[in-house]
Amino acid sequence: MISNATKRLVSALAIGFAFLGISERAEAQEILLTGPLAGAPAVRQLRLYRQNRFEIAPVVSFTLLDEYQRTILFGARLTYNITDWLGIGVWGAYGAIKIPTALSDHIQDVNKDRRANAPNPPGYDETLSGRLLKVNMSTDFTKQLGGIDLVLAPQLTFTPFRGKIALFQSIYIDTDLYISLGPSFVWLKERAQCSVGQCGNEAIFPMESRMAISGTGALGLMLYVNKWSALGFEFRALPFSWNRGGFDTAGGGKDKEFPDNAITASDQRWAWNTMFNISYSFYLPTQYRISE
Amino acid sequence: MKKSRVGLLAAAALGILPATGWAQAKGNAAAGDTAEAGEAAAAEGEAAGTPAEGEGEAAVPEGGGLEEICKIDPAACPNLDMEKEAARPLRENLYAMQQIFALRARRLELQPYFGLTLNDQFVSHPGPGLALNYYITNVLAVGVNGNYFEVFNSDSDFNAQVRRSARVAVPLTEYQWSAALNFTYVPAYGKFAGFGDFIFHYDAYIVGGVGAISTRPIPVIDPDNRNFAFEPKICFNAGLGLRIFLNRWFAVDLEMRDYIYPEKLEALSVNEMDKTNKSTWYENKSTITHAVQAQLGVSIFLPFSFEYRLPK
Repeated sequence: MISNATKRLVSALAIGFAFLGISERAEAQEILLTGPLAGAPAVRQLRLYRQNRFEIAPVVSFTLLDEYQRTILFGARLTYNITDWLGIGVWGAYGAIKIPTALSDHIQDVNKDRRANAPNPPGYDETLSGRLLKVNMSTDFTKQLGGIDLVLAPQLTFTPFRGKIALFQSIYIDTDLYISLGPSFVWLKERAQCSVGQCGNEAIFPMESRMAISGTGALGLMLYVNKWSALGFEFRALPFSWNRGGFDTAGGGKDKEFPDNAITASDQRWAWNTMFNISYSFYLPTQYRISE
Repeated sequence: MKKSRVGLLAAAALGILPATGWAQAKGNAAAGDTAEAGEAAAAEGEAAGTPAEGEGEAAVPEGGGLEEICKIDPAACPNLDMEKEAARPLRENLYAMQQIFALRARRLELQPYFGLTLNDQFVSHPGPGLALNYYITNVLAVGVNGNYFEVFNSDSDFNAQVRRSARVAVPLTEYQWSAALNFTYVPAYGKFAGFGDFIFHYDAYIVGGVGAISTRPIPVIDPDNRNFAFEPKICFNAGLGLRIFLNRWFAVDLEMRDYIYPEKLEALSVNEMDKTNKSTWYENKSTITHAVQAQLGVSIFLPFSFEYRLPK
């Protein structure tokens, strides 16, 4: 008689051998960075486009999401890259071109029609619109709009991401993604301040210049065309408060959120003042280094 | 029973014997045939190879395999100076083509997102959306997308400021929904090394399509008498997107899409004689409107995994 234990042993061995005959399908595995690659850097022989190189870049800036007036600024960026991920420099630009928006043109068209169609006598100033808009609207609305004249921004540039991009699976370009941070000094022009009873007496409202001190930040992408030059695209924010429309919008009433018939600092509204920059960088010396 | 169990055990044990054992028997037979042919060829080659042997002592390299080749066919014998070849500088760089981290071909992309209006300062139209795209190839997809706006439209403070400061009424509209059939093309694929430590992959795509959008004016000029209903209009769209892959089936998306459609705005003038006549509530002609939207969402690719089809 064969014991039950022996029977079970033989059956188990038979099943075990049967499993050995089943082929195993290798499953796709992620690279776990073990074995010979453990501890190795992510990239070897990296082209160090920035390290110990000066960067000189002409820049064109286009303001975004403007309410009354768009500005195109021309400037330049100078940077010395201490390492491949850290640089120190300055960006400056001049607001050369200012273009009123369609809303501003529409407001001015309505303004002109009202003045042209006002009964005379008594004249436009005695009409309902003339009295209500005396403080806010001159004969030419586009002449009272705020604009950026000059920007100067010393900054630190951090480049945490280095990589490459393939276009149409055939063109390969080295790229990096950077962040710039720093203070900003903005020379701007806006409607001159005036007190109650002294605003709106002029045909064209006077303007005044001032400097707004704030911070600025940018996120940019560089495409390295060759060893010594690169095409750059940058999104920048330049937040500060200013009176973009030349309107009396605040300073009176509850919480000073209602017009007070005066142009003061209360009428300066905060905005991100975003812009899109396009640049072309030149690097000196013209030869880059290569990492281990 | 005992015999049957033993028989089963023996059969199972035979099943795991390597099959190469059978092939070796065939291989030995084939080797024997080859050897016979080789001897005959070698006999011929010796006569032809004599001049080659006489040319230089270093012409025929030593080594089992090469010697056999030279004996069989002196014409095919490699004429190398091994010491000279060994002294040549070696190119140490090896280039390996890495497989693309996340293939898209023949996968379905599920893309929920939330859109924010970028270029409307008077009324913002945020809202959730969903896109479904099927990638026919790794770079081309066809799909549909839809947005829902109705409960999310909001009037901005800037609207009130302009009306009060300039006494100018700007016609406003609100959105209800949109839907479109789209094509997506992925021209760019890349990767970044972050902080010199980790690598993440991304791609950039272009999307465009046609569909419909349902909108209506918000009565501003004459709100006491005018009341508008939502009406669908034909709507084209075009956009650019960036997708950052967190793993092989999940990605974070950022897209800028322009929805272009003919909008019927509220008439700026009021017919004092007949304010309730609906035919006087709209402007005479439509206005082409660009609703630029930033869409932030995620992409989920199905199936979750894929296999590379490599040439054999």
